[in-house]
Amino acid sequence: MFNREIVAENLVKQYGDFAAVNNVSFKVNSGEIFGFLGPNGAGKSTTVSIMTTLGLPTSGKALVGGLDVVTQAGEVRRIAGVALQDIGLDPLMKSTELLTIQGQMFGFSRKQAQARAAELLDLVKLSDFTDRRVGKYSGGMRRRLDLAMALVHEPAILFLDEPTTGLDPASRRDIWHEVRRLNQQLGMTIFLTTQYLEEADELADRIAIIDRGQIVAEGAPAELKASLGGESINLTFRTQEDVDSAKSALGEMATRLQTDRKVLRLYLNQAAAAVPAVMTRLQQHTLEPVSLTLTQPTLDDVFLQVTGQRFDVQAEPEPEVA
Amino acid sequence: MSVLSNINTALNVRHAGERAESAPFLLQLSIMTTRVLRTTFRQPAAVIPGIIISAFFLLVYNSSLGNASNFLPGLAGKSYLAFILPVSVISSALSGAGIAGQAIVRDIESGYFDKLLLTPMSRGALLLGAMLAGALVLALQTAVVLTLGLLMGLQPETGFGGLLAVMGLALLLGTGFSGFTVGIALRTGSAAATQGGSFLFFPLTFLTATFVPVSLLSGWIKTAAEYNPVTYLLESMRSLLLYGWQTDVLLRGLGSCLALGVILFAFALFNLRARTQRR
Repeated sequence: MFNREIVAENLVKQYGDFAAVNNVSFKVNSGEIFGFLGPNGAGKSTTVSIMTTLGLPTSGKALVGGLDVVTQAGEVRRIAGVALQDIGLDPLMKSTELLTIQGQMFGFSRKQAQARAAELLDLVKLSDFTDRRVGKYSGGMRRRLDLAMALVHEPAILFLDEPTTGLDPASRRDIWHEVRRLNQQLGMTIFLTTQYLEEADELADRIAIIDRGQIVAEGAPAELKASLGGESINLTFRTQEDVDSAKSALGEMATRLQTDRKVLRLYLNQAAAAVPAVMTRLQQHTLEPVSLTLTQPTLDDVFLQVTGQRFDVQAEPEPEVA
Repeated sequence: MSVLSNINTALNVRHAGERAESAPFLLQLSIMTTRVLRTTFRQPAAVIPGIIISAFFLLVYNSSLGNASNFLPGLAGKSYLAFILPVSVISSALSGAGIAGQAIVRDIESGYFDKLLLTPMSRGALLLGAMLAGALVLALQTAVVLTLGLLMGLQPETGFGGLLAVMGLALLLGTGFSGFTVGIALRTGSAAATQGGSFLFFPLTFLTATFVPVSLLSGWIKTAAEYNPVTYLLESMRSLLLYGWQTDVLLRGLGSCLALGVILFAFALFNLRARTQRR
């Protein structure tokens, strides 16, 4: 018997001396959308390849729908659908051909497989493009077809590895809509990796943040954000010295302070109401911020908090992190 | 096994019956073969050069060496066309053998290979589908070359049956050799390496009694020809076209083809294993 849960227990994937996945454990409940969030190279795809039976763990255990991914790989493939980060579609083929073959391999008759193909093409809004070879599809269309491929055998559990990476905002929204619909209407458990915080925030019921092979935070998005303690006032200054002076001037007003290059964040309750007092205090110290913004905490902040790094600045040459 | 049957039950309930857990092997094989054929013909550039080059060889060799049968021993009064045609057939077979390897490498590069591995399909069907499709394209190429020969005045000693036998031998060689290109494709996952691998066997067409009978060769090239399975195949085809049904010559050709095929197929299987093994 299978269920719709996903469980990882102390998963390790070692490549020589390097642990791509280092003792990762999590549990995804039935019918949940679980966001697996992390920067490039954090170990997301390696985890997915183990969970989807493409790769083997060095140690640890993984169950998909209650089935062991190592010893019951064949059964796992029948109940799980997978859309990998690298879209696996033959560019010389057409959408109906690809979906029909996929269906037949899962045991549908040719007729059933064709009917299912038509149904899925309709679902991902590609019915008007069946004459065109997949190689001529746009990135968004290819993603949608790839998603349809993963759905052919009506999986109970769906793995989506960075389903929107490289997509324009409109296509990204389409995919989000689809993911939510699959989850709500069919009760599919969805395991989704992403490097976009807003994607995880938008879709996931629960999130695990993975960094350098290890899970550094886990919980519902709201929970994680709440753990940071309220809203913040963000002040940008011209120089690092100004940031440092402001930090000492404002220290007692905030529950917590954080600097990130030339930005000073004051975490405090009821940030908006505190703005006049903050400005007064800055004027007293002849400090003039370049900008002032208010924010509700985001997952970005959570990430900064748990890893000590900003999420989207891997390319930045000099990470001057407080 | 109870897990498996429970899943089947669950799936069957969801699909209201009739749904098998995966397609039978022969169906998978035919699906894969059809697919490779279809995609191969969607890129005519993969097929046409092979045919053109074979036709080119045939025309050039026959025009430049066409009178050689007057002074080559054993060929007096025979047609040089019938003597040189098998060279063209074999080079077409060897170039056609690349088709299977290219099909596999294309799937690896596009990621479709992994996608198929995630279905319950047999890995064997993945391999054999490409090889079978390659063989069918090869048959077509060979038919074109043979037809061209007939148009140029070829009169095979063994008639139509002999032509079919020539084609059969070419298919055997080509399919066997496609085991090599498929093996390279699976091993490297690189189109360039697979292409290069196809050329590696090109010398086999020339380290043999290509232009004159084996008895006229001497020195190292004679030794090379004696170890080259293509030599025996060439002799079989020539005997069919020039002299008639010579069982011993045919068996030698068939045997060398089969031996080569078995070794190269094992090479392909070994690399299929390595590629699809979970790491």
